[in-house]
Amino acid sequence: MSTDTKPLLQVRDLSVDYVTDNGNARAVNQVTLDIRPGETVGLAGESGCGKSTLAFAIANLHAAPALISEGEILFEDRDVLKMSERELRDFRWAEASMVFQSAMNALNPVITIGDQIIDVILAHKTVTRDEAWKRGEELLETVGIHPSRMTSYAHQLSGGMRQRVVIAIALALRPKLIIMDEPTTALDVVVEREIMDELYALKEEYGFAILFISHDLSLMGEIADRIGVMYAGRLVELGTAQEVLDDAQHPYTKGLVASFPTIHGPKVRLEGIPGNPPNLLELGEGCHFADRCTLSTDLCKTTNPDLIRKGDKEIACHVVHSEEVAA
Amino acid sequence: MAFIIRRLAFYMVAIFIAITFNFVMPRLMPGDPVDALFAAAGGKLPAETLAAYQEMLGFTDGPLWEQYLQYLYSVVTFELGPAIMMFPVPVTEVLGNTLPWTVFLAGTASLVSIAVGCFIGLYASYNRGGVVDRFVPFFWQFVASMPQAVTALFVFFVFALTLKWFPLGFGANPDLDPGLNWTYIKSVLHHAVLPMVTLIVSMLATWIFTMRNAMVNVLGEDYITMAKAKGLTPRRIMTHYAARNAILPVVTAVSMALGFAVAGQVFIETVYNYPGVGQLIIKSVGARDYPLMQACFLMIVICVLVANFIADILYVWLDPRLRK
Amino acid sequence: MKSLKRFFAGLLKFYRGNPAGIIGSSIVALIVVACLSAPVLTENSPTKRVARGHQPPSTELVFGSTRAGKDVYSQVLYGGRVSLMVAFSAAAVTTVIALSVGVTSGYFGGRIDETMMAVTNVMLVFPQLPLLIILAAFLGQVGPMVIALILGLTSWPWGARVMRSQTLAIRKKEFITAAEVMGESKWRIIAVEIIPNLISLVAGMFVGTSLYAIGAQAGLEFLGLGDPTVVSWGTMLYWAQSSAAFFVGAWWDFVVPGTVIALMGGGLALINISIDQVSNPKLRTGKYLKIWRRMKANVEAKRGQA
Repeated sequence: MSTDTKPLLQVRDLSVDYVTDNGNARAVNQVTLDIRPGETVGLAGESGCGKSTLAFAIANLHAAPALISEGEILFEDRDVLKMSERELRDFRWAEASMVFQSAMNALNPVITIGDQIIDVILAHKTVTRDEAWKRGEELLETVGIHPSRMTSYAHQLSGGMRQRVVIAIALALRPKLIIMDEPTTALDVVVEREIMDELYALKEEYGFAILFISHDLSLMGEIADRIGVMYAGRLVELGTAQEVLDDAQHPYTKGLVASFPTIHGPKVRLEGIPGNPPNLLELGEGCHFADRCTLSTDLCKTTNPDLIRKGDKEIACHVVHSEEVAA
Repeated sequence: MAFIIRRLAFYMVAIFIAITFNFVMPRLMPGDPVDALFAAAGGKLPAETLAAYQEMLGFTDGPLWEQYLQYLYSVVTFELGPAIMMFPVPVTEVLGNTLPWTVFLAGTASLVSIAVGCFIGLYASYNRGGVVDRFVPFFWQFVASMPQAVTALFVFFVFALTLKWFPLGFGANPDLDPGLNWTYIKSVLHHAVLPMVTLIVSMLATWIFTMRNAMVNVLGEDYITMAKAKGLTPRRIMTHYAARNAILPVVTAVSMALGFAVAGQVFIETVYNYPGVGQLIIKSVGARDYPLMQACFLMIVICVLVANFIADILYVWLDPRLRK
Repeated sequence: MKSLKRFFAGLLKFYRGNPAGIIGSSIVALIVVACLSAPVLTENSPTKRVARGHQPPSTELVFGSTRAGKDVYSQVLYGGRVSLMVAFSAAAVTTVIALSVGVTSGYFGGRIDETMMAVTNVMLVFPQLPLLIILAAFLGQVGPMVIALILGLTSWPWGARVMRSQTLAIRKKEFITAAEVMGESKWRIIAVEIIPNLISLVAGMFVGTSLYAIGAQAGLEFLGLGDPTVVSWGTMLYWAQSSAAFFVGAWWDFVVPGTVIALMGGGLALINISIDQVSNPKLRTGKYLKIWRRMKANVEAKRGQA
């Protein structure tokens, strides 16, 4: 993946606020991120760090009380946030589709799987219902499900099958980007492995870019080309998968990597990260991680560090920056 | 399918209990049940006829269970005795004359209030925070919490008595002969307006709330977000994804609302002197006409159960998760 | 003392930003206080004849007189005591039964659950008013407390169902399993762990049943099934109807009790709705929506969208 390739998706200084009766909670705070064609970018972080919010923002899916308050989202140079309703409907799914976390909840329980596959085809392309139906059957076969299941309902399928169906639907219009929000979190490890293998094959064949969101860093290490780490709405580290996992720079990333057990290698005592994520309604001026960070300085408590590029990596940490300067 | 059969069995049991209730009640009263039951007959019935009726309704000399079987048999064969108020007309005939009026009134009012209420609820949920969402449901709930008797009286007073826009009572102009001609039908409709409006007003709030709350819950679901992400038109999302799911709790609510509808029916028929079963049961209470009263009770129970059953079938048809 | 303070704090939280609840409670409180202070507010007895029949409202008789020449104002106040007592007693009986049946059924499960639910479901499917009418007919003209009892004994099934499903949901939670494993007696678990979580449900049911009872009692008495010698809102309506108050133009005879019943019902309904909204915040429409709209407009203007 050459860095000269024009990015498919450019997120620039994006901020998403949740408006509540008690004030605004900034769930995504000035995030800048690029995804190149065919690239798989992983987005990691604990629950509530803003990764899902970011994902939803890309397709401009937010409704009250969420509000995209700052920034732009450029998909092949078109600003998604400036699109009209009509343009947005055409854009959605055809250019960028989504795989939701819980397939059981993402599928409409009262209409058939088949209907849910073809309605998106019929909404975007002028084909006959029969043609759409045939395409639906092909899609099911692609993910390893028998086409007779087109007439089944969501509750009649197993968890793994449902997730495959959701992936099949995501592929329906051959999008350039698929956003996967914790696609395997709700599944057991065996099924998870099957789905992941399926995903590799599909990626190879169709060449779509993936934004892979998960809290499972080790899983991400497998599939992602680059990994971004989010904390309290900010992107704190961004680099190649190898670098982030093996040579994490940001204190939070280090803590995150250290809390995942490995099967191979010596037995190490697991370390968590003490403390709790901050209340988004009460964010202070300084680095949001300062309270839980073992390396925090006075500067950390007063000024929020910017995401600064260092070679291929980007880090947002005063301590790391100062080391750079010192070196 | 199994679900339907289970419900059917359940309703059969309920009907049995109602019949048993009818059987037991007169025997629980102080004194000779037979005397009480036919006290209102006074001198109207000749002795042998009286004896025949008594036997038919199970007041024989045999043991209790024999009496019960006899009663059961009579009920099932529609031999429910005389309407003492209107002797010698049998109870079944009286019921046959009044039931259509009630079904017409209650049925139409229910359907209209469900349709209108759901529509308003849908609109309110779609425009959250709009004027309709903020005020309309509360306003209607306030109106609807007026006991139906009171609402009926108010409406009657204002529109029938004072403004004289609508007739003072009855199902149709009593001077006209019933028939399938336009004059008669027009009269029926004219007389039905006030009772129907009163019924609808008292029932509307339930449907507005049920639909609105159901929609709010549904609109928060992931499959709605996915539908939006798919780029489907708002119309398709509203119909196939949102309303299609929200309708389920509404159908469930129908079963709950039936009891309320029946109660309303009784009050409204009394106030408007409408010739339905509700008014009949009240009149029969006043006249101490026990056979008629019990038959009315049974009829009302059966109607409610039938309506419940229809709602059950509708639910199974709408929710594929129940079929297997 | 501390639990009292917590109670008031909780109450305050309930009423904040809850116009429906405030209005409803005020109406109810006003009516209840007025009825309780009847002797202070009027010197006329509700049963004594004080004027000619069907006198319109005047400075002497604020609400006019009935056909029998009794003071309507006095009747509304004293009659209110009876009606309110019936309503609240019926609500109390219903709530107690529904709570007992629902929690027992939900917590113990098995055979107990099956039997109780079978009974509940059958009772649930029966239309209540015809049942009440038949009962009242067989029992003759019954006094208000009997009506209260009958209402209480026939209105519990729906509440029991709701209590049961809530109990089932709580029961599945781990802190219950923990308590059981620790050896806490079942009754103690029910009293200490389960019931406190059902408070808002219980409150809602009490209010809802009172609402229903006000109307049902008024309705039954209006139909002539109550004891006409007792003064209550319902019997006032009955007498108004039978004295053809309508037709002779004596509108105050029934408008007054009718309005009071309506107001009481409306107030209780508002309280009920507000309880609903507090326990399910999704249904609430807070002011955040307005702020959101404003912010969205600003953002879109900045982006250059019309």
